[in-house]
Amino acid sequence: MGFSTFPMTPDQLQSELQRIEEETRTLLRVSTSRATVAQTPKQVIWTLNKAKLYRYIPVVPAEERHKVPLLLVFALMNRPYILDLRPGHSFIEYMVTHGYDVYLLDWGVPGPEDKGLTFDDYALEYLPRAIRKIKAVSGSAEFSLLGWCIGAILTTIYAALRPGDGLKNLILLTAPLDFSDKTAGGFVRWVNDQSFDPDKIIEAFGNMPGEMIDYGAKALKPVENYIGSYLTLWDNLDNPRIVEAWHAMNTWVTDLIPMAGATYRQLIKELYQENRLMEGKLRIRGERVDVSRIRANLLNVIALADHISPPCQSESIMTKVSSQDQRVLKVKGGHIGMMAGSGALKYTWPHIDEWLAARSH
Amino acid sequence: MSTQPEVPNLLDPFGTWKTMRDASLDIWSKLMIDLVNSQAYSQATGQWLDSYLTLSQPFRHVFETTMTQVLGGLNMPTRAEVTSVAERLTHVEMRLDDLDAKLDDIQRALQALSASKQTADTSANIKEAH
Repeated sequence: MGFSTFPMTPDQLQSELQRIEEETRTLLRVSTSRATVAQTPKQVIWTLNKAKLYRYIPVVPAEERHKVPLLLVFALMNRPYILDLRPGHSFIEYMVTHGYDVYLLDWGVPGPEDKGLTFDDYALEYLPRAIRKIKAVSGSAEFSLLGWCIGAILTTIYAALRPGDGLKNLILLTAPLDFSDKTAGGFVRWVNDQSFDPDKIIEAFGNMPGEMIDYGAKALKPVENYIGSYLTLWDNLDNPRIVEAWHAMNTWVTDLIPMAGATYRQLIKELYQENRLMEGKLRIRGERVDVSRIRANLLNVIALADHISPPCQSESIMTKVSSQDQRVLKVKGGHIGMMAGSGALKYTWPHIDEWLAARSH
Repeated sequence: MSTQPEVPNLLDPFGTWKTMRDASLDIWSKLMIDLVNSQAYSQATGQWLDSYLTLSQPFRHVFETTMTQVLGGLNMPTRAEVTSVAERLTHVEMRLDDLDAKLDDIQRALQALSASKQTADTSANIKEAH
């Protein structure tokens, strides 16, 4: 929103006042309402506790579709509809129209009764059950897994513990796996401070509150997140394309969910502080997680401007896995923008499709 | 025809303000990113959080105890009891999911059996026809 220069004629003044009125309405609408998101047609095919497994209705005839189904696993502390933000700007819609049989595992919102859930439960209870259902529905013994952020930790753990379960392709997006560099990024610094005690937080709140997670993520780039984002909207109130994109993203950013307390504790202590996964010391239900057991074809997508999971946290897994077919894809953008920003359709999705299509028959 | 160089319009205070704002925002952003990535900031937030959790703990304890007593007195289920029921429901769901998996296996085995029987019948019919 801007203001024209004075002096102006009465007609110009009237049109200027109308423009200001319209833009004020737009501002009020996008800042006080939720955008319509997650519109790609889907059906729930499995549920467990708060988790739901969606299958997206295929639009490509069965004979032209890729044979290997694709399961998307998003992080635990945000809503997964960032993968299906709005028509024309949805990774899921893109993959469905490119002939994939797409499934999405939505972890749901943990309640107080879920505070004891750990990575062990998600990786060896929920994920294998959802995969069993996908195999039953698709009729395929093989499947592809795409994990994003904490979802990438879960899929890595699963791939290492169950390498013979039919996992053909593993795609990791902005995967925070290696925490050996204790100076890489704000998160690592904050949680490695001796006065930071995840046990105290969990004791106080049960689950890690969504508001605290949100503060942590936004505080990494305070000016951009608390001021810059709103200035972008203010400056572009007369541009419907930018306004609608901002509205959808703001809907997702402000849709906060807590993280199961025990999972948060495990994430901070065993991964961020002790780096157990990369050091081969992480135990899940008593089994040692050895990433060298990962044999699936591996695509590791790294965002060059990722301030939440800096590239150094994602790169080192490539030298530790046993996958013969592996590739690192470095793309422009940040942790979320890489997959949901305006450049994703050009710089990220086509490369994922190209890599996966060649390995989905 | 030559083009005139763009000069700031001094009669547009908002335009001037916007130019100044954009020029300073980048500097602020870099300064703030450096600040939140510093050891001092980590220590300060860690200590603040620790103090808050320590100081609020007795109040939370009193509140929880009181609430449990009040709910008990009113013959209402406490949070712990509701949580326990929810956990049991999840276990029941898991058992149902196990049964679902077994049913799927049985269905697949029956389908395979029926398919192999059909194939055997077809080949027997062909043999008879010959």
